[in-house]
Amino acid sequence: MNREKITNRTGRLLAGAALSLLLVSGGMAPAFAETPADTLVQAWAIDDTITLDPAESFELSPAEFIGNAYDMLVRLDINDTTKVKGGIADSWTVSDDGLTYTFKLKAGVKFASGNPVTAEDVAWSFERAVKLDKSPAFILTQFGLTGDNVTEKAKAVDESTFVFTVDKAYAPSFVLNCLTATVGAVLDKKLVMEHAEAKTPSDEYKYDTDFGYGWLKTNYAGSGPFKIRDWRANEILVLERNDNYYGEKPALARVIYRHVKESATQRLMLEAGDVDVARNLEPGDLDAVSKNADLATTSAPKGTVYYISLNQKNANLAKPEVREAFKYLVDYDAIGSTLIKGIGEIRQTYQAKGVLGALEASPYKFDVAKAKELLEKAGLKDGFSVTFDVRNTQPVTGIAESFQQTAGQAGVNIEIIPGDGKQTLTKYRARNHDLYIGQWGMDYWDPNSNGEAFTSNPDNSDDASVKTLAWRNAWDIPELTAESKAALLERDNAKRAEMYQKLQQQALETSPFVMIFQQTEAAGLRGAVKNYKLGPSMDTNFLAPVTKQ
Amino acid sequence: MSDAAMTRREWLLTDRPQSRLQARLGRAYVAWRRFTANRLAVIGLVIILGLVFLAIFAPLLAPHSPYIGDLAKARLLSPGPGHWLGTDDQGRDILSRLIYGSRLTLQVVLLVAVIAAPIGLLVGTVAGYAGGWVDAVLMRITDIFLAFPKLVLALAFVAALGPGIGNAIIAIAITSWPPYARIARAETLTVRNSDYIQAVQLMGASPWRIVLRHIMPLCISSLIVRVTLDMAGIILTAAGLGFLGLGAQPPLPEWGAMIASGRRFILDQWWVAAAPGVAILIVSLGFNLLGDGLRDALDPRGSGQ
Repeated sequence: MNREKITNRTGRLLAGAALSLLLVSGGMAPAFAETPADTLVQAWAIDDTITLDPAESFELSPAEFIGNAYDMLVRLDINDTTKVKGGIADSWTVSDDGLTYTFKLKAGVKFASGNPVTAEDVAWSFERAVKLDKSPAFILTQFGLTGDNVTEKAKAVDESTFVFTVDKAYAPSFVLNCLTATVGAVLDKKLVMEHAEAKTPSDEYKYDTDFGYGWLKTNYAGSGPFKIRDWRANEILVLERNDNYYGEKPALARVIYRHVKESATQRLMLEAGDVDVARNLEPGDLDAVSKNADLATTSAPKGTVYYISLNQKNANLAKPEVREAFKYLVDYDAIGSTLIKGIGEIRQTYQAKGVLGALEASPYKFDVAKAKELLEKAGLKDGFSVTFDVRNTQPVTGIAESFQQTAGQAGVNIEIIPGDGKQTLTKYRARNHDLYIGQWGMDYWDPNSNGEAFTSNPDNSDDASVKTLAWRNAWDIPELTAESKAALLERDNAKRAEMYQKLQQQALETSPFVMIFQQTEAAGLRGAVKNYKLGPSMDTNFLAPVTKQ
Repeated sequence: MSDAAMTRREWLLTDRPQSRLQARLGRAYVAWRRFTANRLAVIGLVIILGLVFLAIFAPLLAPHSPYIGDLAKARLLSPGPGHWLGTDDQGRDILSRLIYGSRLTLQVVLLVAVIAAPIGLLVGTVAGYAGGWVDAVLMRITDIFLAFPKLVLALAFVAALGPGIGNAIIAIAITSWPPYARIARAETLTVRNSDYIQAVQLMGASPWRIVLRHIMPLCISSLIVRVTLDMAGIILTAAGLGFLGLGAQPPLPEWGAMIASGRRFILDQWWVAAAPGVAILIVSLGFNLLGDGLRDALDPRGSGQ
């Protein structure tokens, strides 16, 4: 027995030693010392990159790579994000019936491979995305494109003229905003088709080629200011200057992304000068970086909002007074100044700041007395108990715990059920939750993306085909659904913006969504890095203007 | 006075006790003297008694609420007057949470001991006394449980049962009985053929009676020692589950979960993770010292009794 005890303890000791060794080696990955002057080294968790193919990629980090390495017909105007400006397209016109968009391409533009960019490449890129039909393809197919009609609807009429036909007279801003998405990236048809593999057509896949799908997963065929030279999953991604780029060429010769997951590790590497930019700093580390004289921070609001939602299938939560009371039970100021400091800004409307028609309003304050009064009106004077599904990551866990405390003061007893992302999301999608705290990222940079998600629910039955966030919370809203549909077809930009503002105002008052904050992306920089600016979306984190001293 | 004390001592230590009670008290007294002679063991006992004291009087001792903090003004304060161990990321007083957390720790330790020890004792003594295929079946089941690392098996059970302190206790209990069964079986094998057992058999006692009344009592002292020594391990396993988010759920002030939430601030606000870490260290050390002392004091073969 004695001996068994000793071996037990040694085992524990050894395990501890192995663990600490692991931690140390993770914290001190091979050091580069000073980074070269023409190279920008970034530490970033890039494990969400599963493909570099613009027709398939729908994750965060690859959006940045594609945004820098490819060009689209139109791009978001960084200086006024409610507008778009030309990318490959020099100019465009919309027909009077609102169905036909004619794009004139810029002259003399070349791909990184040296091939000229023609309207044929644009049309083929659209055809490829629609026929492959991967996650982001809906951004194009929502305009009535299918595998059968795409060659007619997205067509090159000559070398430099591309015509795009949509099925309804949508708001032009909606169509153009959608075309800025990475799925609209223009690919080098000649280069890609050289690597295409033959396929046997079947019922599921009707075409005799894979459109270079296998090859483009890890390769590059674009015309952006940088080219993607190398990608090793969960390790490194290298961008290199594209000398064939038509616009102003980047000052940097290359940009290296190193996969580093932990915030503390990124901070140590940044402080040691192993990297120039650290991308996943948590509030505490960000704070320390901003106090360091050699380092700087930069940030930009992104199109992701965080909210607590109340399932309307729960009889208590379905009462309008309860919905309103909950909006008074979040300690917005305290959360804003602590838990999400540097990574988010309190926002009570569901449209992200900077998007067309975003409403700036924050009428709710933490007010227990007011909430109690509302609960009493709802006949719940003594409070009630609900469960709260929370993903066990920060900052949502912290916010959930804070809400548990503040709601407790009004007699609402909340039981937190933690789980990993998949567990909680599955439950949420099946509408089996009471309370849920989630994040919602815009699918494309247009108010319709969030407008549809939060204030449209065409069919509230359990087996509905369209499952928006409103549906997930069983919020039955025929009027708002009609209004958000009308806003999609409004061709006057100012009127359209107004319609979205009205929708947000109504959601603010009556919705089961307690909006909490809009995510801010922040980065820590070495002092030598200049002109590093984060954009409103991942694909607008442009690296071309960055310089190093 | 001293005369009377001397006589009481002599009465306890006499070679010829007049009654069963006197003999038992005498043996307990000897064990206690041997235990107190070991300074480290006494320190262990004091630590554990202190833990029990904290757990019982938590509401009186804790300076603040363990659940309600001031997020806006009192977040991540460093240790100082007002908050002796600082505050955590929700602005809650860490000292108060540690004090309330002692209740959870004791709850886990006691419940696991109460569930696991009797199971192990029963399985081990039955297997040892019955022998044959009963022994083979019971011991192979024990072997299967022993083949898994304890924490990994507990993780699997909690994942199946769902996170929560109650399920964590069940999972730890399920994974910690096999060593007790092994010990009980070994002890049983050494006594099952002794004369007094055969005497009881001749008198017509049923196997259950023999196991329950004549074998189990002999196994108990080594089992108590083993359980006490294991308590440190139980605390660590519970803290490990809490750390991984599978044990106590927020806002319960479980020490392992407190370390997990403090880990994010380890570079700048080290005390958030350090305070519960030190608490786990001290209590585990206390149980280990106590267990070592108990083994020396209770081991019947240790002295010429």
